[in-house]
Amino acid sequence: MVMPQTPILEVRNVSKSFPGVKALDAVSMDVLPGEVHALLGENGAGKSTLMKIISGIIPKDAGEIFLDGKPVHFLSPRDALNAGIVLVQQELSLVPDLSIAENIFLGRWPRRGVQVDWNTIFSETSHLLERFGIREDPRTPVGALSVAEQQTVEILKAVSRPNLRILLLDEPTSALSEDEVNRLFELVAEIKKTGIGIIFISHKLHEALRIADRVTVLRDGRKVVTEEARRLDERMLFEYLTGKPVEVLETGHGGDHTEAVMLALEGFSSGGFVRDVNLKVRKGEVFVLFGLIGSGRTTLARGLFGLERTAGKMTLEDKVVQPKSPQEAIALGIGYLPEDRRQALVYELPVFANITLAILSRVSRRGILRLREETSLAEDFVRSLRIKTPNIFREVLYLSGGNQQKVLLARWLARKPKLLIMDEPTRGIDVGAKFEIRAMVRDLARQGLTILYITSEPVEALEVADRIAVMRGGRVVRVFDHTNGVDKTMLLAVASGVS
Amino acid sequence: MPQNRAIPAWREGESLSQALVNLLLKGGSLVGLVALSAAFAILSPHFFTLGNWLNIFRQVAVVLIAASAQTMVIITAGIDLSVGSVLALGGCLAAVAMSYWGWPFVSGALLGVFFATLAGLASGAIIAKGRIPDFIATLGMLGAIRGIALLITGGLPVPSHFTATKLAGYLPQSIVWLGSGDIKGIPVPMVFALLVVAITWFILNRTTFGRSLYAVGGNREAARAAGINVDRVKILVYGVSGLYCGLAGLVLVGRMNSANALMAEGLELQTIAAVVIGGTNLFGGKGSVFGTLIGAILMGVLSNGLNLLNVEPFWQRVVNGLLIVAVVVFDQWRRRVTRD
Repeated sequence: MVMPQTPILEVRNVSKSFPGVKALDAVSMDVLPGEVHALLGENGAGKSTLMKIISGIIPKDAGEIFLDGKPVHFLSPRDALNAGIVLVQQELSLVPDLSIAENIFLGRWPRRGVQVDWNTIFSETSHLLERFGIREDPRTPVGALSVAEQQTVEILKAVSRPNLRILLLDEPTSALSEDEVNRLFELVAEIKKTGIGIIFISHKLHEALRIADRVTVLRDGRKVVTEEARRLDERMLFEYLTGKPVEVLETGHGGDHTEAVMLALEGFSSGGFVRDVNLKVRKGEVFVLFGLIGSGRTTLARGLFGLERTAGKMTLEDKVVQPKSPQEAIALGIGYLPEDRRQALVYELPVFANITLAILSRVSRRGILRLREETSLAEDFVRSLRIKTPNIFREVLYLSGGNQQKVLLARWLARKPKLLIMDEPTRGIDVGAKFEIRAMVRDLARQGLTILYITSEPVEALEVADRIAVMRGGRVVRVFDHTNGVDKTMLLAVASGVS
Repeated sequence: MPQNRAIPAWREGESLSQALVNLLLKGGSLVGLVALSAAFAILSPHFFTLGNWLNIFRQVAVVLIAASAQTMVIITAGIDLSVGSVLALGGCLAAVAMSYWGWPFVSGALLGVFFATLAGLASGAIIAKGRIPDFIATLGMLGAIRGIALLITGGLPVPSHFTATKLAGYLPQSIVWLGSGDIKGIPVPMVFALLVVAITWFILNRTTFGRSLYAVGGNREAARAAGINVDRVKILVYGVSGLYCGLAGLVLVGRMNSANALMAEGLELQTIAAVVIGGTNLFGGKGSVFGTLIGAILMGVLSNGLNLLNVEPFWQRVVNGLLIVAVVVFDQWRRRVTRD
């Protein structure tokens, strides 16, 4: 039996409205001493709003906040800080030219007489660094540290406050490598021991499950659940987050597509970097180009779409081709969703105009647009791809990343290409949309579309692929003809050249 | 599918202050026009009369036609500094053909408009194929085309007494009618200019070319990646600008019953001001010709009102110059606000 403890922080029925939307609707949660409490939610679920209220940045409309059982009212971030609630934001607030020690004590340098007491600053910083097992000289300028190390300094800065009770970490892992995440989690585990309560905001499910004691999920500004992390798994969390069951994605496809070849490359080179590529992509398959960043996947794709200088033989459906511009490539039946959506979306044009941008000649007669046809076509795609937008006349600018990506997908589906190249289509979009786009890709292939799918996420590669080609240093180093028996370690090993 | 985004970005932006700012951003030029008109109406008894308003429209017509073209160019993230010179070229050519060579109105007008269009296409080709910034290319054309117009006219007004030996006739009645005639009391240039605005609206909103203009200006790379021939769009829009300037040239020559190579100097500033006051983004991708209509009328009202108040013409230059600066500052502010 766990003894019931008094929570350090308790949030009771807190609500917040912005004009036209209820951002938080009677949300309650609490944080126990020495607890890591993960706060999960998709973009717009309300987690940022809740965090800003707790740290005094914005006022709440209704509800109560208790610190050590006593009601508190924060009118400014300073109030919250004085009460021992410290927020570590994604954008770090360190002065790069100052040392670690100076940054940690920034604005509250201890003094001896009129002088700053440097001895105390450096010795206390050394203590702090030692205690959390960080081997850095307190005199090192912060600007010389990596992002992960800077984040550590930021967290230590919070920990060094004598009155610290609650530490709010806002998406602390978003810019970190796997190794750095491990070290961060060790640090968090150390801080836990001091009895401080930690709120860990994230949208990465596995990380939350790894670090948290309890998890609270927000959706649409409401609390869905608070549960002990050990009783949860990723699938359950996903369902809480999105309100929908996970569509089971079968892996290890292959077999049901034809043997006819859609795209064949022989001795193909692109952009001076990608060389000697020999590939055959079959009709109706999802062919994954897997590789780490800088392996040449995007350069290859851009070459196929007429955006890079190419050489060698490219055959599309038995016809030798060499597109020299996107216009030519599109005419040949190739579509391309670039890695960076900003290269493809016209943000100030509405949804429908972005969808029809590649088929203007088909929705017009003699240069005059047939608006009714154009908008009804766009409506159809918004419905079938479940693009979330108030209407098709809304500028694409205002859509979420996932929905922007779907608008681009709609653009190419409207064009009905033979070959669709998708470069990292799930990057930077939230988890629900991610699953959905992967499922769509499988679906489209089933309907006969040939897809060249570029990714650097091994799990994603295995999930969508019929076959996988691995690239490294501008060359295709290996092709897996089926995904049975291939696992992510194997893919990563081939991609990084470790045998 | 995440059908539960509690605070979509598009709604988050609509706080009360934001709504007020939006009103100012969207209705700013109209609010300004009404306020300015009200002020002049109080200060001068002659301002708010039908006759005076028709007069304003008569004066605004030329700027409005050229500003419609400027709107399209600026939507593609370009800028046409050569509008005044191209107008002068077209107008002078037409006038020379009609009065020195004895050409009838239609063929003379076609000649002027044709070469004006050609000049525009040349600017577009230099920009698209030479990969030169729009403002540099058209700044060069501003000088060069004005020079050609001076060469054609010998620096003299057309028709001119100094060249009376060569004179085949005065300007035909048709062109004078275009520039200063009336249809049942309504000035012909005003009708013509409004027709041009309507056509421009149609191009921008109902044609693939218009859609391409927005796409190219909004995101050139994206337009290219969607299969739009960006170079072609660029060349064409400057060609259309030349065409419009040629038409505006005919109207101006008709109004003055004379052409000269130095006419319409500073037209680039007036058109840019009208476009920007009208809410078109100087950096492309966004804008409407109706905004430009308001902007052009506002400029016309300003100069008319100052005239009625007997403000020295020199002061009017100062006011016009400052207005342009103020408008650009306003545009910068607007973009900062709308980006947040």
